[in-house]
Amino acid sequence: MTASSKALPRISVQQEEHEDPREHLMLDPKPRGEMNAMVMESMHTTSWKFWVVTAILSIIVAVCLFGAWGYLIAEGMGVAGINRPDYWGIFIVDTVFWIGISHAGTFVSALLRVFKAEFRRPFTRAAELMTTFGLVQAGLSIFMHLGRVWLAYWMMPYPNERGLWPDLHSPLMWDFLAINTYLLCSTMYLFLPLIPDLAMARDRSTGWRKIFYRTLSLGFRGTEGEWTHLKNAMNIFAWAILPVMFSVHTIVSWDFAMATRPGWSSTIFGPYFVIGALHSGLAAVVMVLFVIRSTMKHMKYFIRPEHFDALGKLMLVISMCWAYFFFNDYIVQWYGGDQWTKILLAFHEQAPQSYIYFTMLICNIVVPWLTLWNRKVRRTPWLMFIIGLLINVGMWLERYVIIPMTLTINRMPFTWRVYHPGIEIPLGIGTLAFFILLYMLASRVIPLVPVWEVQEGQMAHTLRKVGKARVKTVSEID
Amino acid sequence: MSETKTLLALFQDLDPAADAIDKLKEMGLTEDQVNVISGIPVLERILGRPVQWTNVPRLAFGGAIAGFIIGLLLAFSPATYPALIAGGQPLVPVPPSIIVVFEMTMLGMLLSTFIGVFLDSSFPSYRPMEYIPEISDGKIAVFFACPADEEKKFVSAMKKLGAESVQPAEAQQL
Amino acid sequence: MDTTTKTPESGAQQDTVTQGKWGMVIDQDLCTGCQACVAACAMENNISFVGEEDVNYGRSMHWIRIERFWQGSYPDVKMTPYQPVTCQQCHKAPCEPVCPVFASLHSEAEDLNLQVYNRCIGTRYCANNCPYQVRAFNWRDWVRPDPLSNQLNPDVTVRRRGVMEKCTFCIQRIRKVEDTAESENRDIRDGEVVPACAQACPANAIVFGRIDDPTTAVSKLTNSSRGSKLLEDLGTLPRITYLKGA
Repeated sequence: MTASSKALPRISVQQEEHEDPREHLMLDPKPRGEMNAMVMESMHTTSWKFWVVTAILSIIVAVCLFGAWGYLIAEGMGVAGINRPDYWGIFIVDTVFWIGISHAGTFVSALLRVFKAEFRRPFTRAAELMTTFGLVQAGLSIFMHLGRVWLAYWMMPYPNERGLWPDLHSPLMWDFLAINTYLLCSTMYLFLPLIPDLAMARDRSTGWRKIFYRTLSLGFRGTEGEWTHLKNAMNIFAWAILPVMFSVHTIVSWDFAMATRPGWSSTIFGPYFVIGALHSGLAAVVMVLFVIRSTMKHMKYFIRPEHFDALGKLMLVISMCWAYFFFNDYIVQWYGGDQWTKILLAFHEQAPQSYIYFTMLICNIVVPWLTLWNRKVRRTPWLMFIIGLLINVGMWLERYVIIPMTLTINRMPFTWRVYHPGIEIPLGIGTLAFFILLYMLASRVIPLVPVWEVQEGQMAHTLRKVGKARVKTVSEID
Repeated sequence: MSETKTLLALFQDLDPAADAIDKLKEMGLTEDQVNVISGIPVLERILGRPVQWTNVPRLAFGGAIAGFIIGLLLAFSPATYPALIAGGQPLVPVPPSIIVVFEMTMLGMLLSTFIGVFLDSSFPSYRPMEYIPEISDGKIAVFFACPADEEKKFVSAMKKLGAESVQPAEAQQL
Repeated sequence: MDTTTKTPESGAQQDTVTQGKWGMVIDQDLCTGCQACVAACAMENNISFVGEEDVNYGRSMHWIRIERFWQGSYPDVKMTPYQPVTCQQCHKAPCEPVCPVFASLHSEAEDLNLQVYNRCIGTRYCANNCPYQVRAFNWRDWVRPDPLSNQLNPDVTVRRRGVMEKCTFCIQRIRKVEDTAESENRDIRDGEVVPACAQACPANAIVFGRIDDPTTAVSKLTNSSRGSKLLEDLGTLPRITYLKGA
C-alpha cells in the first residue's frame, strides 16, 4: 500500500469483461439442424441406468402409492395420522406443496416470457412439465385426503335428480374450480409451444414415434398463418395465466384463512402462499434442471451455469419476499394476537416439534441468504441443486407448520393433541416417486428443450461494439 | 388464365428469402400467391410481408364473455334451488361469487384461445400437404404459385438469389 | 313473536306450534362430571365403540364430552367446574359454509345445525372450523362387539367410515314429540322433549326446551344472570347457555 493518497485503489476488473461471449447460450448459436439432432438424440439415448431407476420408481409407485392408497380406502382414515383437532394432516401439506411446485412452470413460462427474460428460453418446457405433473400429484393427494373419495364427484356442478349443487360458499369449491382451471390452462399452455417441436420430431422420426408425433403435431408446417395464430395465443396465455396462477394459490391459502382457527385466520395468507409457491417452485426448477443437465445427452449445451445464475438471483429475491411475508404474519400475531395465537406461536417454538419450525426458517431464509449472494455458488449447478433441495425441504416443513402443527392449538385446550403421521409418509413418497417417474417417461417422448424458441432467441441476440466494449444486444424480433 | 404451377423455393437464411419475396412481387405475383413456411416464427416486416390476420384475440374475448356468463349462472342460479342455508351467510354471497366468476371467465378465455388456434389453423389436419422436412431444421421455404409457362423464369430467378432448391410443391403426407 | 310456522314440506300455516326453536342450558355448578350424559348419548345415538388406542390418539366419537380443568399444582389443586361440551347448534355456525357439498346445513324452522350423513364426502373442513371442536369423524368402521349390537337405537342411523357426525340435540326425539303433538293437534309441552343427556343427568344439570317461548324453563334459565355462552366473542350465537358462579 502506498502512503500517497493520490492514486485511488483500482477496482478489480470485473470477471465478465473477460468472459467468452459464447458462454451464453444466446450468443453461442448452432445451426438449427444440429440443435434439433441434439434434442432428438437426448430423447432417444436411453441407458440401462434409466430403466433401472424407472423400475425402482414403478415399484415404489405401485406399493407406496396405489397399494397404500387402496389400503387407506378400505380401512378408512384411521390408518392415517389425523385426529381431533388435527383433522388435516400431511395429505393437505402434500397437496399445497405440489401445487406450489406447479407454480414454477407458470412462473418460468409465463412471467419470464412477459418480462422478456431471455434466459428462460431453453427450460420453459421442462418447467411446464413440472406444472402438469405436479398438479397430478396435488390432485392425488387431495383425493387421498377425502373420507369418502368414491363420492368426490359430488363436488362437480352437474344437474342431478336430487337438484343438489355443490356449495360455492366453501373455499374447497373455489379450490375445485381454480385448480381445474389452472390444470386445463397450463396443460394447454404446455401444448401450444410444443406443437412446432412435435412437428420437428415428426420430421425426424420413423416408426411408432412418427405416428405419435404426426398425430400430436396436428399437421403443423410453420406457415405464416399457423405461426401468427400460435404466437397470438401464446401471448394471450402468457398474460392471462398469470392472474390464474396468482388466484390458484391464493384460493388454496383461503382454505386456511377462511377458517376461524388461531394462526389460520390471517389476512396475509394470500400473497404469503403465492410467494411460498414461487419459492419452492423455483427451487424445484433448479433441481430438475440439474438432473436433466447431468443425465441427458447434450443438455449441457442448452442449460448452462448462466441459467442457474439467473434463477439463483430470482431465488434470493423471492426468499427475501418470503421472509418479509412470514415476518409480517408473525409479528402481527406476536404483538397483537389474542391469547390463543400467542400460545400457538410459543408452541411452534418449543419442544417437542420445534426442530421442524427452526429447520424451516434455516432452510428458507438462512440457506439462500448465505449462499445465493455469491456468483460462483450460483453458477455451480450441483451446489444449486443442494440449495434447491434444502429450500424445498424448508417449504414442505413450512406447510407442515401451518397445517398439522397449527391445528394442534385451538380455543378449547381440552382437545389439544399433537399430530403423528401414519400412512401419509409412504403415500407422500409415492407421489414423489410418481412425479419423477412421469417426468422420466415424458423425457423419452417429449422434446424437453423448445428448440424453436432457442433459435428465435439466438437470432435476436448479437454482440455490438459500444465504445470500447462489445456488449450483448437483444432485438425484438418476436 | 393459364395453368399455374406451385413451386417451393428453399432458402438457408432470412436475407435471401426477403430478397426473393421482393423479386417475386417484382415478377408480378400478388401477396396472396406467396406463402412462407419457416421453422421459427418470422416477423412479417422482416420479409416485407403483410401482417397476417388472426381471429384468436376475438375468439379469446368471446370466450371470456361466455365464461363470465357461465360463472354468473353457476354462482347465482343453483344455490337458489333448493334454498340451503349455511352459516349465517346470505344465500348467494357476493365475495365468493366474484371468485367463481373470475375463474370461469379466465377458463372461458383460455379455452377459447386454445380452440381458436385449432380453428384458425385448421388443426388437426392430416391430409397430404406441401412441405419439406428441412423447414424444421431452420430453412425458410417460399411457396408460390406462378403461371406454368413462366416456371423456368421463376426457378432461375430464385436460384440466382440463393435458393438451395426449387421444386414443384407436391402434397405429401407429413 | 310469531307462534305460527310454515313447515318446508307442506307450506301450510299451522295453528299449533309443532316446531319450535330449540335451546339448552347446562348448569356447571350442578354438574358432577359423572359422564352419565356421555354414556346415554352414546347409547341413544348408536355411537361406535372406538377402543383405547384410538381414543388415546384423540379419536373418541363421543358427541358430548366433559372437560375438566384444575388450578394450581399438587397438593394445592383446586378443581374448576366441569364443562360438558356438545354441539352448540350455532345460529351462525362456522361449520356450515365451508362444506363443499352442503352436508352441514342450518334448519331455519328449528334453528338447529344439521349434519347430512349421506351427503358427507369427508373433507373435514367443518370439523376444523368448529371453534368448539365438537365434531366427530368416523375414522374407521369400528366393530360393535356382540351382544352390544342388540342395543342399537332404531330411530337413529348408523354411520360408515368417512362420514362426519355430531350432536343433533336428539333430533329423533324432537321429531317424535312433534309428530305426536301434531297428530294430537296440540302444542308441544315444555319438558316433553328430553334429549338423552338431559334424561340421564342425575343432577338435572341439563335443561332443554324451546327458547322461542319465554315461558319455558329453558328460556327463563337462559336469561339468568349466571348465564354465559362459550366463546361468545366469536359471534357464533350458540344455542347453549352455561350457568356458572354466584
